[in-house]
Amino acid sequence: MIVADQLNKHFKIYETKKGFIGSFTSLVSTKHHVVKAVNDISFNIREGEFVGYIGPNGAGKSTTIKMLSGILHPTGGNIEVAGLSPQKRRKEVARKIGIVFGQRTQLWWDLPLRDSFDILKEMYKVPDAKYQQFLKLYDDLLQIGKFMNTPVRKLSLGQRMRGDLAAAMIHDPDVLFLDEPTIGLDVNAKTSIRSFLKELNTKEKKTILLTTHDMDDIEQLCSRVIVINHGQIVLDGTLEELRRNIGLPSVMEVQYRERPKNVTAKLNGIEKMRWDHDKLVLMYDRSVLSSPSLLQEVTKWGEPVDIQMKEPDIEEVIQKIY
Amino acid sequence: MNLYLKLLSGSLRSRMQYKMNFLVSSLSYGLIMAVDFVLLAAILQRFDDVKGWNLYEVGLLYGISSVAITLYRVFGVEIHNFERYMVEGEFDSLLIRPVSPLSLLLTKNLDLSRIGGTAQGVIILVISIIGLRLDSFDRLLLLLYLPVSIASGTVICFSLGLLTATLAFWTQRIKDFQTFTLYAPFNAANYPMNIYPGWLKIIFFTVIPVGFMNYTPVLFILDKGGSIWNLALPPAVALAFLFFALRFWQFGIRHYHSTGS
Repeated sequence: MIVADQLNKHFKIYETKKGFIGSFTSLVSTKHHVVKAVNDISFNIREGEFVGYIGPNGAGKSTTIKMLSGILHPTGGNIEVAGLSPQKRRKEVARKIGIVFGQRTQLWWDLPLRDSFDILKEMYKVPDAKYQQFLKLYDDLLQIGKFMNTPVRKLSLGQRMRGDLAAAMIHDPDVLFLDEPTIGLDVNAKTSIRSFLKELNTKEKKTILLTTHDMDDIEQLCSRVIVINHGQIVLDGTLEELRRNIGLPSVMEVQYRERPKNVTAKLNGIEKMRWDHDKLVLMYDRSVLSSPSLLQEVTKWGEPVDIQMKEPDIEEVIQKIY
Repeated sequence: MNLYLKLLSGSLRSRMQYKMNFLVSSLSYGLIMAVDFVLLAAILQRFDDVKGWNLYEVGLLYGISSVAITLYRVFGVEIHNFERYMVEGEFDSLLIRPVSPLSLLLTKNLDLSRIGGTAQGVIILVISIIGLRLDSFDRLLLLLYLPVSIASGTVICFSLGLLTATLAFWTQRIKDFQTFTLYAPFNAANYPMNIYPGWLKIIFFTVIPVGFMNYTPVLFILDKGGSIWNLALPPAVALAFLFFALRFWQFGIRHYHSTGS
């Protein structure tokens, strides 16, 4: 469904200067350095797969998605989305894919949500009957009916994201590209969006490529994970393989009243332990060691004044791969 | 067509959300244009003749040129402010639609506050046509040809705007260029081309072909020179230039870099 074959994207970074002279010299100057944002990436995503595409900031995730959707032209390599090249047949591909950028809405900012949908309906030439069906279905799935008549700029981030997701589905695309759809959302909003995506994938058999910084998104949604760093694929496999390779460590930070002298416990499941100033940072595998039993353990070492639980971020996970 | 109307009505309703801002900007723009007009009249009152062109004849050139550029400013507002799409990376959202980015840009917004400028240009044209006291044949010819001339001028202006906007794919910013590719040439085209030195004339009849929209046809209609071909040239040049601008725009899109997120 989505095929990338030896995909490359190199950016020439020119020095830009201010003012007219500056813009003019940057137009003719050849002084630049090349950044390989995407460096020889190949993968094949089959119909109905739900793939997590993860990596640290600047790893090339967004650049890949922009090439897959026809926004950017690759420096080298081939792409096929739903059997077509997004570069050569951008408009046809646009009808077959839905895109959500978590950081930027595709909706008409000053218009009610309903008007954005009406415009998109015309743009994608969705028949009336299908459109009515769509409105009903997505009100059931995402409860967008409640704020259909509110201007988009007045929606909460969670509502706006639900609106964006529905808007991306209006033409019933087979493929979905989601670039950080849960960024900045609270737990409730994340949960409702995850269950919606799950449903799209299992019931509607949509092929979904998702980038995220949230390991929970990956754990709960993705059957396959592609990890990239510095524009190259570091790992392409199932969630289990990712877990086996690097674990998906949870993090506990403990602050003691007095720094305990012997923290020597070798409990099964603790993967890493280090002192960050006067805080003890523990990384552990939740599937082996439950949080309550670790809590019990850390209280044996000394008297804690503060305990914080954290989910690991992608950056830390990627570092572990090396 | 349906989509075009939907998009336009959408953008107008977005605009109307900020009524105060809309009113103030229309008013201030109208005021600036009025001051501009008064200045021109004052200058022409002093020197009642510019290299063989009297006040009304110059008024004809001025009217065509200012109607052309203000129509471009009304309909091409997003082209004119295109650097925003580069700097803020908003161009991405145009490329994910099954419609050409250019038609999305043209339907995204209308700058109605510039209509005041168009109206002012039309008024100058009316005053000039009355003041010229042409014989009935020439007057009819002029009236018939004016729409062609204005349309050619608008297309030339749009093409220049699009060419300048395309530069943004490489330079990001284009505001500095617009002074040279749009404002200055259209100001220059308010006056007869024969007042300019040779090298400037060459520019205005080649790379920035503003001379064709008003000077070339008016020269013939007012019996100041040229042949019947002077009437065929403006639309021909405008279309050729538009074709070139569209090709360059397509070329630019392929070099679009996008911004990191």
